[in-house]
Amino acid sequence: MSDIESDFEYEDDFEGSEDGLYESEDDSQSLVPTQEDNYLRGEYNNLEYYPWTIKPFIRYNFQDKIASVRNHIPLATVDEALILLQYKKWQPDEVINAYFDKPQELLNACGLPAIGTSNNQFETVKKFECSICCEKFRTTRVYSLTCKHKYCLDCYMRYIQSSIQSGNLIKCMSTKCSYVVPHSDIDKIIGNKEENQLLLAHARAFIDASSKFKWCPSTDCQGFTEIIKSNGYESDLDSSDISKVPIVSCVDRHEFCFNCNYENHLPCPCWIVKLWIKKCQDDSETANWIEANTHSCPKCDSSIEKNGGCNHMTCKKCSHQFCWICLGSWKEHNRDYFKCNKFKESKSIEERKNKSKLSLQRYLHFYKRFAIHESSMKGDLRTLAIIHEITRMYMEKRKNQEQNLSWNDIQFLPDAIRGLIVGRKTLKWTYCFAYYLSKSNFAQIFESNQDFLNKTVEDLSELFEKLISKDNKDNVVDIILKEKNKIINLSELIMTRKRTLVSGTILNVQQDLLRFEA
Amino acid sequence: MSLKRINKELADLGRDPPSSCSAGPVGDDLYHWQASIMGPPDSPYAGGVFFLSIHFPTDYPFKPPKIAFTTKIYHPNINGNGNICLDILKDQWSPALTISKVLLSICSLLTDANPDDPLVPEIAHIYKQDRAKYEATAKEWTKKYAV
Repeated sequence: MSDIESDFEYEDDFEGSEDGLYESEDDSQSLVPTQEDNYLRGEYNNLEYYPWTIKPFIRYNFQDKIASVRNHIPLATVDEALILLQYKKWQPDEVINAYFDKPQELLNACGLPAIGTSNNQFETVKKFECSICCEKFRTTRVYSLTCKHKYCLDCYMRYIQSSIQSGNLIKCMSTKCSYVVPHSDIDKIIGNKEENQLLLAHARAFIDASSKFKWCPSTDCQGFTEIIKSNGYESDLDSSDISKVPIVSCVDRHEFCFNCNYENHLPCPCWIVKLWIKKCQDDSETANWIEANTHSCPKCDSSIEKNGGCNHMTCKKCSHQFCWICLGSWKEHNRDYFKCNKFKESKSIEERKNKSKLSLQRYLHFYKRFAIHESSMKGDLRTLAIIHEITRMYMEKRKNQEQNLSWNDIQFLPDAIRGLIVGRKTLKWTYCFAYYLSKSNFAQIFESNQDFLNKTVEDLSELFEKLISKDNKDNVVDIILKEKNKIINLSELIMTRKRTLVSGTILNVQQDLLRFEA
Repeated sequence: MSLKRINKELADLGRDPPSSCSAGPVGDDLYHWQASIMGPPDSPYAGGVFFLSIHFPTDYPFKPPKIAFTTKIYHPNINGNGNICLDILKDQWSPALTISKVLLSICSLLTDANPDDPLVPEIAHIYKQDRAKYEATAKEWTKKYAV
């Protein structure tokens, strides 16, 4: 979901600048968590976290320490300071102490000659045979460190490319030679002008290795989140307590569970999610056929593929309107007593005899809804991408003409879109929750909350889909503005209902009013 | 480009062969070699000839070759599958190392095992606790599998 969703965020460009890593820090001061109020808090618990992107992270955690080292060792270049710091695991005090204590020992261990005497050279040589690739060159470019071991640039490039991912310092290629290739030379050799590739790789390895950080699991999302105060999960992040599910978000506001490293799965506790995912994997063969994307029209039997998010279907052939989920007629569907979400256990004796069949049916009932909402989410995103594109084109066109319409007038769209996506995601996980839920009066309350949310989500999805139907092609923007209030209301209703559902469920699970059968 | 380098190593091995080992391609595939090592005279492996398989990765020499014993051998740093625990075949690999140098390192590993960083802890334990028993078993295996 990441691509499109983040496209819609005109308002806050979190990372902001695309400047290189050596830029001055002035503009970045506000991005680093120097004060507690910069931390974000969990919506349902006391969790504190901070969403990062890699560049500010490097500036804050690594780059700033260079100055501190260079203050004490004035002759050290940025490259030398970086190597010393990376060797001492980013503790400037340790670098400085070790340097004044036993300078030669420290420098040897880091693969550096005496400070200020580095003599690394790029040169063009004639009649050279590179001992790595065994090519004989008439003239070629070579690189050597202070040790004067010369190798052709092509070999150095392949060597660096094959070892940079580890994030470790890169040594001279010669056996047992411990001189280290400085960061800026690495960028020169692999032809990268802007960024410090080794430092980036090193930071990634650093983040991977630390339990305080998790990468955002959304596709193509580059964000990661640091957990500051974990509210009692320091030991093992075992979140059997539903109120402690560590939901965090990244800079693009993708919510995910820090424990499962999976999308926000509330109202389900983590252990239910694990059971469900395992079950879905185990039963995937059976579920595959039901997941298939086509249904036939219940009236005329022509095959229909759903390409949007809304579940209110109209057959192009016979104009029959039906619900994609239960295939019931849409007319009955809109009446309040109609429950598309509830699983009605069949009373026929044969089926009762066959308990296993019933349990499979029960599973498929919930899995189908879980999967449909997942694919509907993709449909929604396609619809929304179209709307986004149309409004963007419209604004571009109008830019030059005298028009009162401004960006502010359509600023409500990103929020509405987020509301729809968040609502659908919560809805999706309620079916996993419902599968494991044992029957009780409170379970019925849960189901009616689920129905409410389902209705609102479908309404908004349908509204969006109508906007881009072919009949409206030329005046989409006008219709969007006309429906503005309706869209805002629906998206706010979704957020309210989602909040009611999640917080009510958390409370009832905590008070043991909702129980699981698993 | 790795082919040129592999060819060069093959030529060097032919011109100046090491005394205790040999190596060369198995068939037409230059990326797959077979090597043999003679058990060092001052070790319990003396008298045996041990065969190894060598696979060059496509990005050789920037990544180390994969080398494994195909002859069974009783050694704390070599396991039942013939895998060798040797630093230069892993993180201490350098593109300037050659097959000839690696085989010599394996020879010296046979003479001086490294029981503090074992691949087979049971053998390492015996090596440290009861050196005579280790040497007897190693000799027995050499006789059984490598002669």
